[in-house]
Amino acid sequence: MGFARTCSVALVGVEGVVVEVQADLEPGVAAFTLVGLPDKSLSESRDRVRAAVVNSGAEWPQKKLTVGLSPASVPKGGSGFDLAVACAVLGACERIDPRVLADIVMIGELGLDGRVRPVRGILPAVLAAADAGYEQVVVPECAAAEASLVPGVSVLGVRSLRQLIAVLADEPVPEEEPDEQGRPDPLLAGLRVPGTGAATGMNSLDAAQHDQGHDLADVVGQISARTAVEVAAAGGHHLFLEGPPGAGKTMLAERLPAILPLLSRQESLEVTAVHSVAGLLPPGKPLIDVAPYCAPHHSATMQALVGGGPGVARPGAVSLSHRGVLFLDETPEFSSHALDALRQPLEAGHVVIARSAGVVRFPARFLMVLAANPCPCGRFSQVDDFCECPPSAIRRYQARLSGPLLDRVDLRVEVDRVTRAQLTQRGAGGESTTTVADRVRAARERAAARLVGTPWRTNSEVPGRELRSRWHAAPGAMDEAERNLERGVLTARGLDRVLRVAWTVADLVGHDRPDATDVALALQLRTGVPRGVPMAIGALT
Amino acid sequence: MSLGDEPAGELLARVFLSRVLEPGDEVGGRWLRELGAVEVARRLRDGGPQLVGITDKRWAGLLDRAEQAEPERDLAVAQEAGMRFVAPGDGEWPGQLDDLGDARPVGLWVRGRPSLRMWALRSVAVVGARACTEYGAHMAATLGAGLAEHGWVVVSGGAYGVDGAVHRGALGAGGATVAVLACGTDRAYPRGHTELLGRIAEQGLVIGELPPGDHPTPSRFIVRNRVIAALTRGTVVVEAAHRSGSLVTARAAQRLGRHTMGVPGPATSGLSAGVHELLRGDAVLVTDAAEVVELVGDMGELAPDRRGPVLPRDLLEPGARRVLAALPGRGAAPPGDIARGAQTTQDDAIARLYELRSLGYVERHGDGWKLTRQAMISVRGGRSPC
Repeated sequence: MGFARTCSVALVGVEGVVVEVQADLEPGVAAFTLVGLPDKSLSESRDRVRAAVVNSGAEWPQKKLTVGLSPASVPKGGSGFDLAVACAVLGACERIDPRVLADIVMIGELGLDGRVRPVRGILPAVLAAADAGYEQVVVPECAAAEASLVPGVSVLGVRSLRQLIAVLADEPVPEEEPDEQGRPDPLLAGLRVPGTGAATGMNSLDAAQHDQGHDLADVVGQISARTAVEVAAAGGHHLFLEGPPGAGKTMLAERLPAILPLLSRQESLEVTAVHSVAGLLPPGKPLIDVAPYCAPHHSATMQALVGGGPGVARPGAVSLSHRGVLFLDETPEFSSHALDALRQPLEAGHVVIARSAGVVRFPARFLMVLAANPCPCGRFSQVDDFCECPPSAIRRYQARLSGPLLDRVDLRVEVDRVTRAQLTQRGAGGESTTTVADRVRAARERAAARLVGTPWRTNSEVPGRELRSRWHAAPGAMDEAERNLERGVLTARGLDRVLRVAWTVADLVGHDRPDATDVALALQLRTGVPRGVPMAIGALT
Repeated sequence: MSLGDEPAGELLARVFLSRVLEPGDEVGGRWLRELGAVEVARRLRDGGPQLVGITDKRWAGLLDRAEQAEPERDLAVAQEAGMRFVAPGDGEWPGQLDDLGDARPVGLWVRGRPSLRMWALRSVAVVGARACTEYGAHMAATLGAGLAEHGWVVVSGGAYGVDGAVHRGALGAGGATVAVLACGTDRAYPRGHTELLGRIAEQGLVIGELPPGDHPTPSRFIVRNRVIAALTRGTVVVEAAHRSGSLVTARAAQRLGRHTMGVPGPATSGLSAGVHELLRGDAVLVTDAAEVVELVGDMGELAPDRRGPVLPRDLLEPGARRVLAALPGRGAAPPGDIARGAQTTQDDAIARLYELRSLGYVERHGDGWKLTRQAMISVRGGRSPC
C-alpha cells in the first residue's frame, strides 16, 4: 500500500557500507517490525523513532509497518539509522514525498523529543556514501563540519526531525532554539566513549594539540638522542631509546610529533576517520591535521593495542596513532603477547581483527618509539650508581625486547643522564622544534622527490633490495659497514637498515647520496657503537 | 677396577680423581705430585691411610665421593658423547698448564677434533661481562674475527655477552676457537648457547675440567678462569665492571706472567670501569687484533704504525713552511710583510715563494703573493686544531 526507501550507512571498522532502509505499510493490526540483522541498540530504534515522530507533530501510521535494512546479511548496529528509519516511515505514509527520499543518505540518532543527535563515525560514513555515488547527505547539525570534509557531497545539518520534515516537504523551516550557552552540549553526551579520557584533555589528539608547551629546545644535552629523533621523523624510522630513569626518554618522545610534517589532506581524512569511529574527535575541530601521539600504559592488553572488544572491534592504540607516533614507555614491562601483536601491523601498515560480528580492518601505519631501562633497577652501566641486578636478570630483561620487534627498529640510541654541568650551563638547550621541523620537512621533500614514481614515500618504507639496486651510495661510503658485515657484527638485514638510515641522514644534511660520514652516523644510530662522527645534524649541514 | 697396570691405570686413576677432587684443589695437587695419581686414587678408593694436609671431615667427604665414582662408566659416557680425556703426560696435554703448579687440572675433558696442545700454542683469551653493552659485543666480535684472521686461536668461556660474541666472531671468520666450560663438557651451559657450543665443538674445541654431567657452581666459574689464563699467551678483557669475574682471569694471567690487555670504553660507562682500573695497573691498552698480536705474537709480528695521513705540506723544508705559514689566509701580501712574518730576509722569502709557487701552494698577484685555493684548504685544515 505505502512504500518508501532511503539510505544510511553501516560501519564495519572504518569502512562504511551503504544500507538501503525500506519502509512498507500494509493494512492490518498496528505493528512495527525491524528486519535486517539489527543489534540491540538498533532494535530499540523502533521506540525512539515512534516517539520522535509523534513529538515532531507528525502522525504515526496505525497499520502493519515493516522496516527492512538491506543488504540484509550485513550485521548492523548503533543508533545512526534512526533518522533514515523515521524518514522512510514518513515517506511510506506519504507525509514526505517518497521520490525525494530515495537518493539521500541520512545518518543520525533521534531523541524522543525529535532532536537529532550525533553518532560516532560520521566522517567514514559520509566517505562511504560519497564513494558509492550519493551526493546528498543529512547529518546532525553539530557533525555537519565533519561531514563537509568529504569533497563532492552536499551536506545538510539538521537539529531536529521537525526541521528535516519541513525541508523535505518543501515547507517553511522552523527555527529550533540553540542550546543554552555555558552548559555542556547535551548533544555530545554519549558521543564520546566514556573512559577514553576525552573530556580530560588526555587523549592522543589533545596531547598533540597541547604540544605548543613542549619544545625540543627544552631538552638539555642528549645530542645523539636528539639526532635519532630527528632522523626518525625525517625517514619514518622506528626508534628505540635506552637509558636510566630520568634521562629524558619520555621527554624526547613527546616532542617527536611536533617535528613531523603536517598531515596531507588524504592522511588527515584517514586519521580523522579512525578518531571519529573511536569517538575521540574533539568538538569544534573536525579535521585532524597534526600527527597524533599515543602512549598506552604498559598494562595495556593486546586488544587495547591493536584494537578489539566485544561484538564489532574498535580501533586500538596502533590505529589511533596512524600517521603519528606510538610511544611504548617501559617496553619490557608490556606483556609479550601484546608486543608480539604489534608485528603484523608494523609489517602491513594495517591491522585486521576478526570478531563474531565480522572482520574489520583498521589503518595502522605509525612511527614506533620504544623506551626501556637497561636493567630492572635502571642503574646498569652507570659509573657512580651500583647496579645490583645479576647479569642473568639484566639479560632476561633485555631479551624481552629482542627478536622480531627490535629487528624492525632502525635506530637504537642510549640516552644518558643529564649532568649538573649540562643543566646549569647557559644556553644549554639545543635547537628548537621549529628549526628541526624545517629540516625534517626539507628532508622529506628530498626523499619524496627521489622516490617519485614509486609506491614509497619515506626511506623506511623502501625494501632493502630496491634500496641497494636503484640508488647508490657514494663510492667507498659503505666500506666500514661492509667490513662489519664480513666480521659478522652486522647482519645482512642490519646492513640494509644502515643504508636506509644513511639515506635519511643524507637527506637531512643535504647530500645527493650518502657519503662515508653519513654511513658512519647511520652505523652509530643503528648499532649504538660510537664511530667517531659528530652526532648533531645541525653541525653537519 | 684395576689401577695397577700402567699406563691405562694412570689414565683411569686421573679420570677417577677428576670426579673426586674439586678443580683447583691445591692439596690434592700436592698428593698427585708427591705420590702419583695411581697411589692417591688407590688410597681414596680403598680408604687407605689418610693423606696429609686435610681435615678428617673433608677426607670423609672425599671418600664418600670416591664411593660414587665410576671411571670406566665416565669414559664410556664420554666416548659416546664424542669426548676424550687428556691428562698430563699425554701427547695432547698443553704444557703451559703446568705453570699452575699444584692447581694444575687433574685432566681435561675435550670435545672436538683438533689437538688441544697444538691449538693452545698460539692462543689468546678474550673475556668480559656477561651482561655487556652493544659496544662490548661489537668489540668482542671484531677482536674474535680479527684474531682468527691473524691465525690465532681464540679462547673464551662460552658464556653470554662478551664470551659469546668472541666465539661467534671467530667462528664467523672461519677461525679456530676454544670454549672452556665450568661444567661437564657434555652439558650446554648456558642453555641458550646450546647451538653455539655445538658449533664450537664442530669447528673448534670445547674443554673443561669437570667430568660428564657435572653442574656449574659460582666457585667453579672462578677456578675455571685460571685455566683460561694459563692456557693462553695473553688475556684481553673487553668489558668488566669492578666486581667482574673477568678481572679474576686477568689477575690470574698476570700472576702466571702472561700478557694482560684491556679494551678501553667510555669513561662514563660503569661496565668499563674494571678494565680501566686494570689498564691503570700493568695491563696494556689494545684497540684491535693487530695490537693484541703484536703483544702476544712472535718477534716481528708488529701492528702497523698508526698515524694521520702525511700531507705534502709536512714534507716542506722548515724555512719554506715558515714562509707558507706567514701568508695571510685571505687576500695577497707584499713580500716584505711575508718576510717579517717568517722572520727572514726579503730575498730569502722571495726565493722560497717562487719555490712554493712551483709546488702549487702560492700564486703571484702583481707585487703581492697569495695562497692558492688548494693551499688554503690544506693550510686552514692544518691550522684549525690550534
